[in-house]
Amino acid sequence: MNNGFMTPSFEGLRALILHRQHANTEALERQFARIGVSAVTVWPELAAEQSFQDFDVLMFDADMGYDEQFPWSAGEAPIPTIALIGSEAPGRITWAVSHGADAQLLKPIGSSGVYSALVIATHAFKRRKSLSSEVATLSERLANRENLAEATAILMVRERLPANAAYALLRRRAMDERRTIDEVAQIILEKTGLNEGKRRG
Amino acid sequence: MDTRTVVQVGVLFSRSGPYADLGEQGYAGTMAGIAAVNARTGLPFRLEASVADPKGNTDRYAALAAELVSGGEVRHIVGCTTSWSRKEVIPVLEKTRALLWYPCVYEGFEANENVVYVGACANQHILPLLEFALPAFGRRGFLLGSNYIWGWETCRIARDVILRSGGEVLGERHVPLGDADIDRIIDEIHRKKPDFILNSLIGPSSYAFLRAYRALGERDGDFAPGRRPVLSCNLGENEIVKIMPAAEGHYTTATYFETLETQENARFLAGLPEDARAAGISAFFAQAYSAVLLIAAGIEVAGEAAALDVLEAVKARAVETPFGPLRIDPANNHIHVVAHVARATAGGRYDIVRQGRDAIAPDPFLIRSALAVPAIETATTPSRPQLRLV
Repeated sequence: MNNGFMTPSFEGLRALILHRQHANTEALERQFARIGVSAVTVWPELAAEQSFQDFDVLMFDADMGYDEQFPWSAGEAPIPTIALIGSEAPGRITWAVSHGADAQLLKPIGSSGVYSALVIATHAFKRRKSLSSEVATLSERLANRENLAEATAILMVRERLPANAAYALLRRRAMDERRTIDEVAQIILEKTGLNEGKRRG
Repeated sequence: MDTRTVVQVGVLFSRSGPYADLGEQGYAGTMAGIAAVNARTGLPFRLEASVADPKGNTDRYAALAAELVSGGEVRHIVGCTTSWSRKEVIPVLEKTRALLWYPCVYEGFEANENVVYVGACANQHILPLLEFALPAFGRRGFLLGSNYIWGWETCRIARDVILRSGGEVLGERHVPLGDADIDRIIDEIHRKKPDFILNSLIGPSSYAFLRAYRALGERDGDFAPGRRPVLSCNLGENEIVKIMPAAEGHYTTATYFETLETQENARFLAGLPEDARAAGISAFFAQAYSAVLLIAAGIEVAGEAAALDVLEAVKARAVETPFGPLRIDPANNHIHVVAHVARATAGGRYDIVRQGRDAIAPDPFLIRSALAVPAIETATTPSRPQLRLV
């Protein structure tokens, strides 16, 4: 669904509106109903039998919201989030930003805005997820650089190879064994016993 | 003496400018609708038109709408052709709790509580048109539109549908509103030989294209009328008669055609003034006319109530219109309506080739509509039969 021309569909999604009951939440519920999304309004916190995991998108109140409403740390919401902004005081906007809102809607809520906010929030969320998984991969690779260097050095000594050939050997073993090159380096270090291999990442 | 109370109806169409032909149909349809309501006996009210003309200037719509409703007498406006102009008017409506009865085909993705959409949205025009066209003509399309939201969005939906249906988009071009410089596009189409062309051009651009495409067909038999047809969701009777025979062999989908053989249509046409008939009666006309009938039906039940109460009253019933009984969807303010497909003749008339039977529920956000067209018709019917059974 990455292509710009594809028509998004939100039918069947479940939305959580974290906002006190208000004409604004009624307008949101009406807009959600029109695009096939079922919405639940809750304030200030979920009931014992409810869980954020039951929802596909979260709308939260930037005016009266507070950190303890969310069971995750700032910016790590596991679903797309949309901030409902009334007061444009910088403090409240900064707070909404600190929670990594993927999109925003300005109050008062009328007949429109939810659809575009949903499109933007789902795109931003997808980007956020793929970025964070890419960062995790890169960090792990960075952490394993030292292991890789040591394993290459071991092969150089043991097999009397120049550096590039030793590295090529590592790569070939990784391909043959269908492992990552980092895993192969780790195994060499562990087998050699010179080093327990530094698990990082 | 006429003892009926007077209910003002705002009429806001551009009768000059780049889409004047469409605006004129909206205007004439509204006025005919008002005349039809006033000719009825037994109603405790009559309608009076309060007319404003933005002359095709988008920036004039909001100011004129505000003027219309400012006295407090006008609560219902029938008007707007382009989506831009409708978006301009909406803040005025929301502030004054007035209603816009928007009688045009449009791209969808809106459901405003102060707007009643008395025309087809995408699942009632481009989807049924492609359902008809892809199996009939092939899946290699060329997309053409005026350079604003109507052209962009109908082409985007068409691209989505074509690609999901295993087809191919050979090109997509957008022409500034009112521009008639079309030669390079004709060259490109000549070179690429698409199975069909989707034409979402408006007004003079569309006429220039259809004339140039006709001329291409005269030079090259591969483009003769009917060979690689042009499809439209917005070309009307009043337009094809003006440019005849340029639209010959090309297809339009609409909620209404003048040549529909139904009792409702016969009654509707018989009641229209001569001069309106002479210009051609398009879906834009019939929708504007029906919008007035819907307003009158609401007022008949709710009395001279607030506009939104009149709307609630009319939502609860089906109203007799040229389309037959017409319903407004209570959830999204769009009409339930059929989609027909017709082919233009050399004489500037429409022959119905596929008459819609059931009203299609409006799906303005395309959340429930199937966007892939199955290949059933091509799979069972070879396009070029080699043998004929005698």
